[in-house]
Amino acid sequence: MTRRFTRSSAIVAGLASAALVLAGCSSQGGSQEEEAALDTPTYKIAMITHAEPGDTFWDIIRKGADAAAQKSNIDLQYSSSPDAAKQATLVDNAIDQGVDGIALTLATPDAMKGVVKRANNAGIPVIAFNSGIDDWKDVGAMSYYGTDETIAGTAFGKRLNEEGAKHALCVVQSQGQVALETRCQALKDSFDGKTTKLYVNGEDMTSVQSTLQAKLQSDSSIDYVATLGAPYALTALDSIKSAGSKAEVATFDTNEQLVSKIEDGSVEFAVDQQPYLQGYLSIDAFWLYLSNGNFAGGGKEPVLTGPAFIDRSNIDDIAKYAQKGTR
Amino acid sequence: MTAGGDPARITKRSLGRRFVTRPEVGSLVGAIAVFALFFAVAMPFRELDSLSTVLYASSTIGIMAVGVSLLMIGGEFDLSAGVGVITSALAAGMFAYELSLNVWVGAGLALMLSLGIGFLNGYMVVKTKLPSFLITLSMFLMLQGLNLAVTRTVTGSVASPPISDMDGFASAQKVFSSTFTVGGVSVQLTVLWWILFVALATWVLLRTKVGNWIYAAGGNADAARAVGVPVNYTKIGLFMTVGFMAWFVGMHNLFRFNTVQSGEGVGQELIYIAAAVIGGCALMGGWGTAIGAAIGALILGMAQQGVVYAGWNPDLFMFFIGATLLIAVVLNLWVRTRAHRR
Amino acid sequence: MTTTIEASAPILELTDVGKSFGNIHALRDVSLSVRAGEVTCILGDNGAGKSTLIKIISGLYKHDTGTYHVAGKPMNCSSPRDALDCGIATVYQDLALVPLLPVWRNFFLGSELTIGPWPFRRLDVAAMRRIADEELQKMGIHVPDIDQPVGTLSGGQRQVVAIARAIHFGAKVLILDEPTAALGVKQSGVVLKYISAARDAGLGVIFITHNPHHAYLVGDHFVILRQGMLDLSSPRAELTLDDLTHHMAGGAELEALKHELQRIDVPDLGAVHDAQEKENA
Repeated sequence: MTRRFTRSSAIVAGLASAALVLAGCSSQGGSQEEEAALDTPTYKIAMITHAEPGDTFWDIIRKGADAAAQKSNIDLQYSSSPDAAKQATLVDNAIDQGVDGIALTLATPDAMKGVVKRANNAGIPVIAFNSGIDDWKDVGAMSYYGTDETIAGTAFGKRLNEEGAKHALCVVQSQGQVALETRCQALKDSFDGKTTKLYVNGEDMTSVQSTLQAKLQSDSSIDYVATLGAPYALTALDSIKSAGSKAEVATFDTNEQLVSKIEDGSVEFAVDQQPYLQGYLSIDAFWLYLSNGNFAGGGKEPVLTGPAFIDRSNIDDIAKYAQKGTR
Repeated sequence: MTAGGDPARITKRSLGRRFVTRPEVGSLVGAIAVFALFFAVAMPFRELDSLSTVLYASSTIGIMAVGVSLLMIGGEFDLSAGVGVITSALAAGMFAYELSLNVWVGAGLALMLSLGIGFLNGYMVVKTKLPSFLITLSMFLMLQGLNLAVTRTVTGSVASPPISDMDGFASAQKVFSSTFTVGGVSVQLTVLWWILFVALATWVLLRTKVGNWIYAAGGNADAARAVGVPVNYTKIGLFMTVGFMAWFVGMHNLFRFNTVQSGEGVGQELIYIAAAVIGGCALMGGWGTAIGAAIGALILGMAQQGVVYAGWNPDLFMFFIGATLLIAVVLNLWVRTRAHRR
Repeated sequence: MTTTIEASAPILELTDVGKSFGNIHALRDVSLSVRAGEVTCILGDNGAGKSTLIKIISGLYKHDTGTYHVAGKPMNCSSPRDALDCGIATVYQDLALVPLLPVWRNFFLGSELTIGPWPFRRLDVAAMRRIADEELQKMGIHVPDIDQPVGTLSGGQRQVVAIARAIHFGAKVLILDEPTAALGVKQSGVVLKYISAARDAGLGVIFITHNPHHAYLVGDHFVILRQGMLDLSSPRAELTLDDLTHHMAGGAELEALKHELQRIDVPDLGAVHDAQEKENA
């Protein structure tokens, strides 16, 4: 292992790789196929979520929020932490900075109660979105934009009944996450057939693939695989093929590639909670409130953004937006 | 230093004894026990198709475990190995897509990046003389952040762009992620790569100069230096070997799934280290084999899949994996202490 | 492994060598010559400058003053590897070998024999095992199994493996750093036997020790260091074991102390005890 890196060999290597880059251009695919100031007062709004970094779903929420912020001349500060205590600290930070409004997710309502009260006392309006449909009023938020995991799960289960499914496999990519468990439970409660739960290691796609394949091999009665996130639906297709199973795939949430799989018929449907809409509305609401005193739902009713079904019947309308990464 | 005691009493060691004192024997017994357990309780586990799935699950752990075990024998850790896989896959995907290159070129650039990360890890460890645990923990956290930030900056999303319609994808998929059929059972090519890498690592360890240096660097670096072994080069080389393996597994992920999410890979480094340790690698270095690490990966793969095949309560999934591991590790220890006491 | 250097010409010669670290003179005006087929013993207390001297001889430190010649040429080695190529091998007390590696792998560590063209170049295992076994036999030691980890050998046997290795790889000067320090009487005897075997094989041996009895058993020339200076440098013929022990124990200084102690009145032990009890409480 006595490598000697001489200058000349480094130059040769550099030239060789440059030549490779030039010679290796792809004739198709890739980015070669791709290609706004307002006169209103500027508001500073903080958006604080419980998102895991690097999740495509939350990325779409953020894009919606960014779009609303740009349109309404809002200075948007986005931050997130899956840890409840850290999320509360982030809210505290926003209050200390004197923002004009706070949009937050209530994945752990109890942990947020104190900081929301503090914000209200400081005269900062708070809007809840995405999670916390049962708690937003108690916590002290002004309005709620989002859906409910139970409603989404129930809709999913009913749809499976319509499709004539007998045995559904609910694939959970992260153990012990309340939202995911609720989806699975609601699906199970409303679905007339049998529901089996399967935990997979969402950190390692190869492990997701093989665990799913193992499950499908060991139980051939499974005729529907329900994944709780779009990337896992794509992997489920691979597992089904490898296991020689005849199961169909349906999923919660979408992303760009999933849309193309619905288009070509390999994925049956997706239950969409319209994350873009959640992000957009919860920011735009501040503009309405701060500039005109409007607020949706009258402080009593949540504003539902889903569940919406995406399947072959409406996919064409959605596909072009999914391409941009906003659906 | 305890075995043998008075030199006069040491007699010629029999072939059998030499076999049971090999580092991988304990894990082999553990593997047989885990296999027997699931063979008994899980009907579907007995199918050949299932064996192929188990081998696939083991192979992606096992390929990384080859690099990680060599490094551990050389006396160092790499906590950045798990996210390093994802870094490499993201880099290859983004290079190819954003620069509209043949995916092979993207893969080549990613290889340089992975080797570079390995080199940097190794260089900092030998230069600062800090524990590799700290250096690579820092690298792990930095890569975790960079995976997300760079992917978002470059693609505007948090996953690498799809590249399945680009030049070279088909041939790259053949190399990194295709299947072949043995006796009617379809097997992932990664299983063959895994066996090849284990064989190569075993040959290097036992039959080459470099192998001697790896054991010496981990066993007693000062002694090795005193007789002229290039300990620093050896260690840097080992970190780069881990980088190479991370690249390989990253390419498998990319070409199998077409796109990679930037948040993946966290926590995998412990699985790789676990495979090496179950396989008999000493945490302090200087002891272990690549075959042992392969058996360790097999135990992990069997536990992961066996719980599913057995249809045990999914809420206890992690518990069962943990319990299986514990059984394997305790058996391993039992065999080893018995072997050395005799 | 016999060398043809005449007895009169020293293989290794230090003249008025000095080394200081900042204000501290670790070594001052030390002259020393080592001849083939001779054991030169370096004795001295902790902190007398023994380890600085070894490090200069083995090339790890550069001396500040004086001259240092190896085989008549100025010494300019700066690493253990360089020193080995100059024919100077150092066997350290505890870091000589890799405990978990088999005997034959340790024997050839850093100087492995290989066969085959590059991508397939591999260890010549058969030859390495055979030569290691032969060389150890030549030294008169019998390792039960050339494949057993060095860690399972006794402390003395391990030192001997390291000595045999140095001789095989053509060392002209063998530096042994406290090889008997951690050993029992019987094990020390084993090591001393091989020190004389190395001398008989024509090597110049530098034997660093605390123990004048061990030194006198094998030594041809004795050097005692005290506070970085030469306290004694004398061939065996001009010295008895008693002289050596006397010098080692402090010599003239000890005499002075003895006189001084005789003149002091016996202190009041009661007071001392009281003070100690107070401290302990």
